[in-house]
Amino acid sequence: MEPLARAAVRRAILVGGVVGAATVYMCMVGLVGAFAARPLIAGVGGEGPGIVTLGLVMLAAVPFLAGMTVASRLRSATTNASGALAVGCAALSGLVGGVLLAAFTLIANAVPLNGVFIPVTPTLVDILTFEQGPVVGPILLTIVATVAGAIGGAIQLLDSRDRRAILSGIGIVLLLALLKPIVDPILAGLELDAVRDFLFSAGGLSQAAAALTLALVVGLSWAWGRPAAPLRDRMRSMPAEHRRRVGLALAAIGIAALLILPQISTGFVSLVLVNVGFYLMLALGLNIVVGYAGLLDLGYVAFYAVGAYTMAILISPSSSLDGPITALVGPEWAFWLAIPIVMLVTALVGILIGAPVLRLRGDYLAIVTLGFGEIARILFGSDALRNWVGGPNGVVGLPNLHLPVLGELTGPGEYFYPVMAFAAFAAFVAWRLSNSRTGRAWNALREDESVAQATGVNTTNYKLLAFALGGTLGGLSGALFAVQLRTVFPGSFLLIVSITVLAIIILGGMGTIRGVIVGALILVGLPDALREFGEYRFLVYGAALVAMMILRPEGLFPSKTRRAELHEDVDVDDRPQLAASGEATA
Amino acid sequence: MLKRPERLTLLGVVLWALRIGIVAGVVVGAWATLSSGGLSGGTWITLLTAGLSQGAIYALIALGYTLVYGVLLMINFAHGEVFMLGAFSGMFVANALLSADGFLVTYPLLGLLGVFAAAMLTSMLVALVLERVAYRPLRRAPRLVPLITAIGASLFLQYTAFGMFGSRTRRYPPVELLSGRVDIFGFSFQRIEIITIVAALVLMALLFYFVERTRTGRAMRAVSEDKDVAALMGINVDRTIVITFAIGGLLAGAAGVLYSLLFNRVDFGMGILPGIKAFTAAVLGGIGSVTGAVVGGILIGILENVGPSLLLFGLGVPSPNQLRDVVAFSVLVLVLIFRPTGLFGRKENV
Repeated sequence: MEPLARAAVRRAILVGGVVGAATVYMCMVGLVGAFAARPLIAGVGGEGPGIVTLGLVMLAAVPFLAGMTVASRLRSATTNASGALAVGCAALSGLVGGVLLAAFTLIANAVPLNGVFIPVTPTLVDILTFEQGPVVGPILLTIVATVAGAIGGAIQLLDSRDRRAILSGIGIVLLLALLKPIVDPILAGLELDAVRDFLFSAGGLSQAAAALTLALVVGLSWAWGRPAAPLRDRMRSMPAEHRRRVGLALAAIGIAALLILPQISTGFVSLVLVNVGFYLMLALGLNIVVGYAGLLDLGYVAFYAVGAYTMAILISPSSSLDGPITALVGPEWAFWLAIPIVMLVTALVGILIGAPVLRLRGDYLAIVTLGFGEIARILFGSDALRNWVGGPNGVVGLPNLHLPVLGELTGPGEYFYPVMAFAAFAAFVAWRLSNSRTGRAWNALREDESVAQATGVNTTNYKLLAFALGGTLGGLSGALFAVQLRTVFPGSFLLIVSITVLAIIILGGMGTIRGVIVGALILVGLPDALREFGEYRFLVYGAALVAMMILRPEGLFPSKTRRAELHEDVDVDDRPQLAASGEATA
Repeated sequence: MLKRPERLTLLGVVLWALRIGIVAGVVVGAWATLSSGGLSGGTWITLLTAGLSQGAIYALIALGYTLVYGVLLMINFAHGEVFMLGAFSGMFVANALLSADGFLVTYPLLGLLGVFAAAMLTSMLVALVLERVAYRPLRRAPRLVPLITAIGASLFLQYTAFGMFGSRTRRYPPVELLSGRVDIFGFSFQRIEIITIVAALVLMALLFYFVERTRTGRAMRAVSEDKDVAALMGINVDRTIVITFAIGGLLAGAAGVLYSLLFNRVDFGMGILPGIKAFTAAVLGGIGSVTGAVVGGILIGILENVGPSLLLFGLGVPSPNQLRDVVAFSVLVLVLIFRPTGLFGRKENV
């Protein structure tokens, strides 16, 4: 027992060091300061500033999670340490982290670091010391971290059902509080003022609502996880066909709820969802190229740009061609007539970009496509093409979109329905493709190109098809983006768009449509809804990409049959030089 | 022996059309520019030295790409951010030295040495942390995994700098030693350009000595040849990889200071373009080859400075210098399409 305890303590101290580094990093980069302005749970009586802020939650979450991992490792079957040791070590890691953060606080209090690290201000020190001064504050901070670590450890002592219930309870309460800017307007639109008053106040979620939600979720989740939960057992004992029907019904309810959403909420929610829709279409398109066919394309934004510019030049009366389509059929039908042309152009661009790079290996392909994307952006913004695409000013004055029944759309939020319809179309195409002969050919191509070729897959054609179809979906998204914004300018088509789309499909899980939808909601919808995020979203994207690749390369919602080339046979990689030369010179 | 001619495919036709088009474009553009005589000899010299000095910086960064690619066969996409963080660190030290009784003014050489040391150490540290946290767990993963990780790390480091140091563009304090012009052979050059070229050459010479003459350098070459065999020969592969990242970081840090002195700006996004161009340089020279990185870097620098004027000026394209990045990216695309082994690359290493 003695050596185990010693090793456990050493490891706990190490984890504590990581906790300290992570929390200090969060302070120095400004996350804590930015998110401290966001109250989650209101003070007593709903008055005054919130008592639990997002900044505090983020700080406490680090030792909490660290405590959970420390304890879970100690409690695993192979180690099987006592509960007291597990909780003690969890608390110890919290303590070490807390002491480090407290030390940082004291340093920041004594030395003005503001000249170098902009977010390290006296305000940050106030946040970290709970405005209790430089003596009580750091002690309080250390205690909070230790307690968070200990709680994280203690949760691991519970059996898995209780643990899951409590964790999902806490998670849902925080999510509800976090999504106040979305939920509140929806409730207002439904005229559920009583519910609204009960749930929210200026300082965030009210304490009573938080407690009620917590109890409700914990109770439900606990009942669902019970060994003989009637509802779950009935679901499981259903025949597959029946279960599928229930699933479809649930999906239909979800879609119906989504469709009435703009009617009952403010324009802000629609705007967020419209943006999600654009990225959803982009992600579905890139998913065909990367997820299905296994071709990593880092210049995907080029298709978005080409789609947007093609649409703009075709229908804007002030474009270089004076909007030939609008001149031909008038603004009512211009968009609809231009759409097939946009699809054709982007498909062609896909083939043109794809053809020369067909023989390149994975990572080189990625860099070449990145080069294409950047060339497109610079050319669109340059004086050299100013007479055609408007240079830095872009193309302005696109006519509003006219829908067959609903008539002219005037506000940007009104594009919700057309964007959702196009996104649904894209999802349908992607879904049908994945189950088709083409989809299987792409699978084979992704898993092993040589074998695919040997079994009769025309690799050239299928690769080009992937580029063309992926490009078409990206171009559609761009075309809608252009009419929604009514202007197109080169600043919208940065490399970061490609990387965002890549992050979406990697977070969600390559090759799955469900994963792409969830990924778009998390990575685009959430930061859009929470304005405090600002530029920090990209920090999160970067961290998410690294963490996903190391911890879970198949994504959050992996599909069983489709493993992207991220799971390709390790054998191939063991002899990279051989495989590489074969592909590069083939 | 005569090779049987390959069957003509659509793809082959497209590629040949591309080749012919490029050659024709270059010839027509260059001829039009030179025959128009619109640009004087002095302009060409200015463009050439600008190209040489920028190329020297690209070469320093490209060495980091090429060394890491040599041992790990991965594109360290975050290398541009290693460079950027070095530039920031150097700037903070330079400002601190300036405000400390004008130390930088009184002892400019010593001060600059301190600035370089700070930048190089910071970049080295970042590169080492990157290797340990992001890349080492993926040593045996398929090739695209480390690339995606590196893209994530690049984004993360960029926005870390954004969060910590803000989005404002900053500058190094003016140092008399580095500003002004010098006359050589009757031509007037910016002093900073000459200093950049000299400093980069000194660093490259040191690196050559290290790689070719020292034990550790030999270990590095052995690991890049074959990791497993190197391990069997008693080389500590992990240690060698760490050293490789450290050297790449040191060079990137120095490049960061030189770049921000040359362009007089430091900001959180400054690593992206030089990073991609330096990668282009490494590929152009033949990735994995140290000589290739140096030659490739200088070529890219010259091409992107001279190229737009040479090829586009005569064709009447407005503001051709806006398209200098297009030249660099086009070189990247064309090299990868037509000669992925680069100029000095070993075939099996690509």
